[in-house]
Amino acid sequence: MGEVTDSMFEIVGSEYREYVPGNVKRSRFAVLRKLPWVSIVVLSVIVLGCIFAPLFCTHDPSMFYLDHLNEASSEEFLFGTDSLGRDIFSVIWFGGRTSLAIGVLGTVMITVIGIAIGCVNGIVGTRADTLMQRAIELFHSIPTILLCILLMALVGTQNVLTLSIVIAITGWFALARIVRSEVRQIRANEYVLAAKAMGSSFRHLVFAHLLPNIIPAIMFVVISSVSSCITMESTLSFLGLGLPLEIMSWGSMLSLANRALLMNTWWVIVIPGLFIIVTLTCITTLANLFRKESNKKSSRL
Amino acid sequence: MSTLSEHGIGGIFQRYPIITRILKNILIFIVTMLILSVVVFVIARLAPGDPLVAFYGDAIETMSDAELDAARHRLGLDGSIALQYVRWFGGILAGDFGLSLQYKIPAMDVISPLIGNTLILGVTAYLVVFAIAVVVAVFCARYEDTWFDRAICKIGTATYFIPSFWLGLVLILIFSINLGWFPSSGAYDFGMQNNLLNRLEHMVLPLIVMIASHVWYYAYMIRNKFTDENRKDYVLLAKAKGLSKNVILWKHSLRNVAPTIVNLMAISIPHVLSGTVIAEAVFNYPGIGNMAVAAAKYHDYNLLMLLVLITGAMVILSSIVAYMINEVIDPRMKDSGGSVWEK
Repeated sequence: MGEVTDSMFEIVGSEYREYVPGNVKRSRFAVLRKLPWVSIVVLSVIVLGCIFAPLFCTHDPSMFYLDHLNEASSEEFLFGTDSLGRDIFSVIWFGGRTSLAIGVLGTVMITVIGIAIGCVNGIVGTRADTLMQRAIELFHSIPTILLCILLMALVGTQNVLTLSIVIAITGWFALARIVRSEVRQIRANEYVLAAKAMGSSFRHLVFAHLLPNIIPAIMFVVISSVSSCITMESTLSFLGLGLPLEIMSWGSMLSLANRALLMNTWWVIVIPGLFIIVTLTCITTLANLFRKESNKKSSRL
Repeated sequence: MSTLSEHGIGGIFQRYPIITRILKNILIFIVTMLILSVVVFVIARLAPGDPLVAFYGDAIETMSDAELDAARHRLGLDGSIALQYVRWFGGILAGDFGLSLQYKIPAMDVISPLIGNTLILGVTAYLVVFAIAVVVAVFCARYEDTWFDRAICKIGTATYFIPSFWLGLVLILIFSINLGWFPSSGAYDFGMQNNLLNRLEHMVLPLIVMIASHVWYYAYMIRNKFTDENRKDYVLLAKAKGLSKNVILWKHSLRNVAPTIVNLMAISIPHVLSGTVIAEAVFNYPGIGNMAVAAAKYHDYNLLMLLVLITGAMVILSSIVAYMINEVIDPRMKDSGGSVWEK
């Protein structure tokens, strides 16, 4: 047979994992060079800028400069001011804290709910599983944004925590579905049977075998949900159902958009939007790192 | 009649399996709608805020006990929650969806003039999105891994990250405020309800928002399905026969991808409806999405419940229809019972 080549492991079908030959070790430099450095640097700048905002922001973000309403960018107000007379440059960095916090908080909740329900779904018997799948489908039949609107109306108080909870309640379906199918695959494996035969406890099975194996599969969805949480926050705040104006965030800045449209002050709308888009793009580029690459045959067309 | 007496009522089901399937689907629809209505009702009743206050406002403080009881009875708020639900559900069967707390008229009367507007916007967007998605997907698959395909993939991914409401704001800023080409809000100008051109003019910007925020997701999925298909043996055979690439894609691959597209179209309905909510809110388009946002702000639960039930019914119905269409275009589905979409 001789040496092992890549072509010997080209399997037909879409549900297989990439074969990584054990003897070929990529150098550390090659691994580093493959990272999306632009996204990492831009995202770090945004995150660090939000954390250390008080150090370089020249204005108090909650201050209303009433004699500087709707001013275009100048040396004093770098990004201009909005219809309340706030300095947009400062509000961006301070508001970014809230937006990123909701992104992270929402994602943590989504991950916990998604893994818990997905695991239960994957472990229980067929009948209970079908029932739960139907329940999930039922929830899924209501448009996410409508569900969020309904829940936000019910919660009453609007703050970072309630908003994250609402976003998490409406956002875990995709993750649970992936976890469920992964768990079902894993529990059919021999090593699980072996572990069971050796008398390992349920907890040991979950923490030693199940979780370490599903984590690579869900990384992409987990990281992407940071961006979906940020989008949802900004959408709800824009609709007036998310964060109120007093709690600064990129979304609540955009809730001033209707007034900005009347005054034709584009910077009030464009700048927070650009920050959102850049952040989302960077996060998703990072998430793509964790995507499994399916090995591609050449096209026959 | 003889077959009936021989095999009993079960004989019909055995001879015509389609009847069983239709009955089963109707049963599924009824059961899911029942569960959905219970969930929605309980959530709305658990909500903070007294519906009585929402309906009558401050007048409630000056009411006598008898008047309060009468008011509760009118809004269906007396008795246990189970009794309230039964009464509410009985009302629905009779076509009575309760009073809107904000407008003080039956909730259905508030919504019924708006459903048409939303359907016009939603259905147009839906059809255009999938028409564009299929064409783009086929072209990307045709030129897979060339600069054309890569450029479209990059542009598509970029559009996917733009929050749709923000895109709407920017479009208003550019095209209606600074250029003045399109109106910035509404579905038609006053008194021009039946003027098609006027309606179209108002729909251009919302449509662009909805198309831009949805098309790439579906185009990419369909493209990937096509590229998977291109690696199958029948494509090689067709090519060996001397068929052109376009014929292979449009005639052979498309037929195999069609079930996926139908499935996607079924799954996409809640997404597209989500899109209408946002587009309507941004452009102040008089539809049920915009109404949902307003109802949520006012805590008008009766209206919200109705809106959720209507959208839920639309989505569940369409997914059942999609499943049945799939069985027709792809007979393999009948036996497997599973959808090709979920792997």
